[in-house]
Amino acid sequence: MYSAEIEKAIRSAGAKAGDMIRITEGDETFEGILIPRSEAGDPAALILKLQNGYNIGIKFSGSMKIERIKPGSSFSFPKSALRFSGHEKIGLIYTGGTIGSKVDYTTGGVHMATKPEELLYEIPELSVIADIKVNNLMSIASDDMTYKEWQMIANAVKDAFADGARGVIITHGTDTMHYTSAALSFMLTNLPGPVILTGAQRSPDRGSSDAFMNLICASHFSTKGLAAEVSICMHMGTSDDYCTIIRGTRARKMHTSRRDAFKDVGGGTIADVRIDGEIDYIGRYQGASEAKLELRTKFEPKVALVKIYPNSDPDILKYYSEKGYKGIILEATGLGHLPVSTVHKEFNWLQAVNEAVDKGMVIGVSSQCIYGRVNPRVYKNARMLNDAGVIYCEDMMPEVAYVKLGFLLGNYKHDKSAEMLCKNIAGEITERSEIRLGSDAR
Amino acid sequence: MQDKSYYEKIGFKCGLEIHQRIASQFKLFCSCSSSFAEDKMIGSITRSQRAVAGETGHLDVATQFESMKSRKFVYNLYENSTCLVDIDEEPPHEVNKEAMEFALSISNSLNAKIPYEIEPMRKEVVDGSDPSAFQRSMLIGYGGLLDLNGIKIEVPSIFLEEESSGVSGTSGNAAIYDVSRLGIPLIEIDTSPTIRTPQEAKTAAKELGLLLRLTGKVQRGIGSIRQDVNVSVLNGNRVEIKGVQNLDQMDIIIENEVERQLALLKIAEELKAREASICKPIEVTKLFSNSKARIIREKISSGCSVIAARLSGYAGLIGMETGKGMRLGRELSEYAKSIGLKGIIHGDENLSSYGFSEAELSSLGKELGLKAGDSFVMVAEEDERAKLAIKLVLDRAEKAKVGVLQETRAIEQGKVSTRFLRPIPGGSRMYPETDILPINPLHYSKKSGPEKATNVLDRLEKEIGVKQLAEQMLWSKELSQYSEIVEKTGAEPLTVATILLEKLKELRRSGKEISTISNAALVHIFDEYAKGTITRQAIEAILSMTPKTSADVDNIIKEEGLKRISGQKLKRLIEEYDGSKVEKIRAIMSKHRLNVDGKELNEMLK
Repeated sequence: MYSAEIEKAIRSAGAKAGDMIRITEGDETFEGILIPRSEAGDPAALILKLQNGYNIGIKFSGSMKIERIKPGSSFSFPKSALRFSGHEKIGLIYTGGTIGSKVDYTTGGVHMATKPEELLYEIPELSVIADIKVNNLMSIASDDMTYKEWQMIANAVKDAFADGARGVIITHGTDTMHYTSAALSFMLTNLPGPVILTGAQRSPDRGSSDAFMNLICASHFSTKGLAAEVSICMHMGTSDDYCTIIRGTRARKMHTSRRDAFKDVGGGTIADVRIDGEIDYIGRYQGASEAKLELRTKFEPKVALVKIYPNSDPDILKYYSEKGYKGIILEATGLGHLPVSTVHKEFNWLQAVNEAVDKGMVIGVSSQCIYGRVNPRVYKNARMLNDAGVIYCEDMMPEVAYVKLGFLLGNYKHDKSAEMLCKNIAGEITERSEIRLGSDAR
Repeated sequence: MQDKSYYEKIGFKCGLEIHQRIASQFKLFCSCSSSFAEDKMIGSITRSQRAVAGETGHLDVATQFESMKSRKFVYNLYENSTCLVDIDEEPPHEVNKEAMEFALSISNSLNAKIPYEIEPMRKEVVDGSDPSAFQRSMLIGYGGLLDLNGIKIEVPSIFLEEESSGVSGTSGNAAIYDVSRLGIPLIEIDTSPTIRTPQEAKTAAKELGLLLRLTGKVQRGIGSIRQDVNVSVLNGNRVEIKGVQNLDQMDIIIENEVERQLALLKIAEELKAREASICKPIEVTKLFSNSKARIIREKISSGCSVIAARLSGYAGLIGMETGKGMRLGRELSEYAKSIGLKGIIHGDENLSSYGFSEAELSSLGKELGLKAGDSFVMVAEEDERAKLAIKLVLDRAEKAKVGVLQETRAIEQGKVSTRFLRPIPGGSRMYPETDILPINPLHYSKKSGPEKATNVLDRLEKEIGVKQLAEQMLWSKELSQYSEIVEKTGAEPLTVATILLEKLKELRRSGKEISTISNAALVHIFDEYAKGTITRQAIEAILSMTPKTSADVDNIIKEEGLKRISGQKLKRLIEEYDGSKVEKIRAIMSKHRLNVDGKELNEMLK
């Protein structure tokens, strides 16, 4: 946004962003397209796109002359010569992931490709993979997602299958993609086909974006993949050759920026998909269900995820208790430990945990080690917690345990929820800790 | 060489783009080292890229689809000079201060204005030379002026941008790039197209090169400076010639380009007069199934299709020379080569030399419906690619009626002729780099620009004492090395200049690998000389053994016994000899030429 003063000067010249204008100040003249000001930078600078394509920031002054030379042209996607036809039907649900968006080179704005021909203009390869029906559900950043959006997405998935889709792709921001994938894993049962979340680490307004291959591989898997589960499809490595399909309850974003940020934690890789569509099945998976798709979208928002660390204050449990929270997942250390035998009593969590359990909160423990299983039997500290009624969540990741507890308390009573928390529903808990060899396999 | 009035008459327009790598410690947008020469490769990755709007030039959506599938790139990664930013796996860091200050100082010394706010941009690149598919670039100066002894050449823009990756080879359909040099800061200085003759272009390029070298803050060595030349003539179009390395040939290269453009305009006129046209391509594979022409037979036996098309009224013009070794036919084949074909066959060639029989040619003529005055083009390739290739070739043939096409062309290795590289992209390939905040130039301290060339020349003359050598030094690439050595070691300037400008050249001519001598080794040699531990003759002896490091220099001095004999030691040595002064000098110098300084010996014998 420009300052009110600049906006006024632009308006009185009869111009708006995107128009070709001329600015004269003293012996200097600039001609170019007026670019809308982003929130960054100096609000006193007018930005013009010069003929050579470069933008330049010009200091605004009340004495400068602004003239409109010609109106801007509005952006429209060129019509693609290609069509979707004769392939498996799949649904594509946009939630705000920027796949399929296009920068307007005139104004720098972003347009979403919501019509099939626009999507094909961006990624023509899709025309020989699938017949894609787009549902432009919402447009929000993944960090702004809440359980209410999870519910909307779950409903949209059901609708897409009801509409005859063989599989469903959900484009999603990457930051909380693994929370959404976990939520959908619990909310949707008896899936008739794959439900694939995908996104982009590098924005699709660049020719090198990972979005293109991610969407191509997601389309391949949605049209012919055998796993009828909720999963995440993202780059396997930094090369554009393979994507990996990771179970929605076992995927985690493990890097802030790399395209292969999503890793399988503890053996949740279902398949590797090559960009040309070849699929290698790696692990076990659930096939398509003959039964009717079931949807349970209720979610209890009064559930929290609390991290344990040296000097952490147990009073936080009191706060949640007073706020009426019904469940807490403690992200504990090591095998599932909390400070319960401290020398200094103000750091001792045992009493706070006991009180919370007595008040009827469901308290679960997962490990901040991320990899591995919690165990209440090895050390005394954990045995004390176990005795206090804390539920040890096996090898379930803390984020997944959090989503699961919210789901359980939304749909079941306290005792049933407590019982189900450490029992596998959607691949979030494994019975056996398989040995995995290799550099980043644990 | 033609004179000024000739170039005026043909509507000659010429502008320069000079790209020079800046010798900053780190890259422009990350903390990788800017020196990459000795870095170790640690692996490679494969990426595919796609064209974005406005970048596909003459390709339509269907062909874009085709080309996209084959656009694979391999990037070689290096230990100290590649990081996640380089391979588009991490957003850029803040702009490098050293490079920004350098660029601003150059803008000042070219009398350019600096924007109130600098807006970092992404410039799309289509050849894969950047893993992010764009180059970061920003306008840091405008409205500058270069004064060539009274001839004023406008400098409308100065940019600070990232260096691209270096091509390392190809593997199948994939181009292989070294990501080591990617992101090194680069300054680009553009002149307006008001240069009046090829000679003037050469002079302007030399002056700008000198200005940059005089800062002492630019990288040296092959590829560290690149000159692009824009050339057009009346009724033609702008052609950009990329990478004119050898400035001494710049005028000849431009003269050749002018000749090519004029010839193309002549062909265009003739085509229009003949009402020439291109015809639909036809598959003619079956005509050549038993051909003796190896070039076709081998393709057909590996399952390729042969496609040909009539060019009505083109006879004789495809084979006509458009310059030294240049023909329209070659320009057509360059379009086919741009998607990986080896070449094309056309009707103006001596076809029997390929081994085609009369019968084959006459049935081809019948199939295509060739008449007198017609020519044809033919390609043999795997079906889809053959179709795309013939389409590109026919498009180019059709456009021959326009005359000169807007193209980016490359210098052919070791030659003064050019070849087609790609269509010139427009301003539409620029969009804002949203990962970097706009930059306020006032946040950077003002550094003074380079010294004036005349001042530097005065200083060099005073130091070196030989006018001709001083002038040579001013224009040479060794200038900053000379200054560094003189400043650091205090060695006599004349000796340093003579060795850098003459002795090293001699050694190179005699086949020594002097490029492997490191800067540190060179400084060390002169340091030893300045301290009096070696003689001037020993410098040459050491250099001829091409030491790579300072340690190598020390080893050579020790192993070859090159320590200087002087003072008391020299006195004792003199006592070992009898005879007249001249006889003593002759005897001592013939035995200890590399260890004894002639002047000192002379002094002692006085």
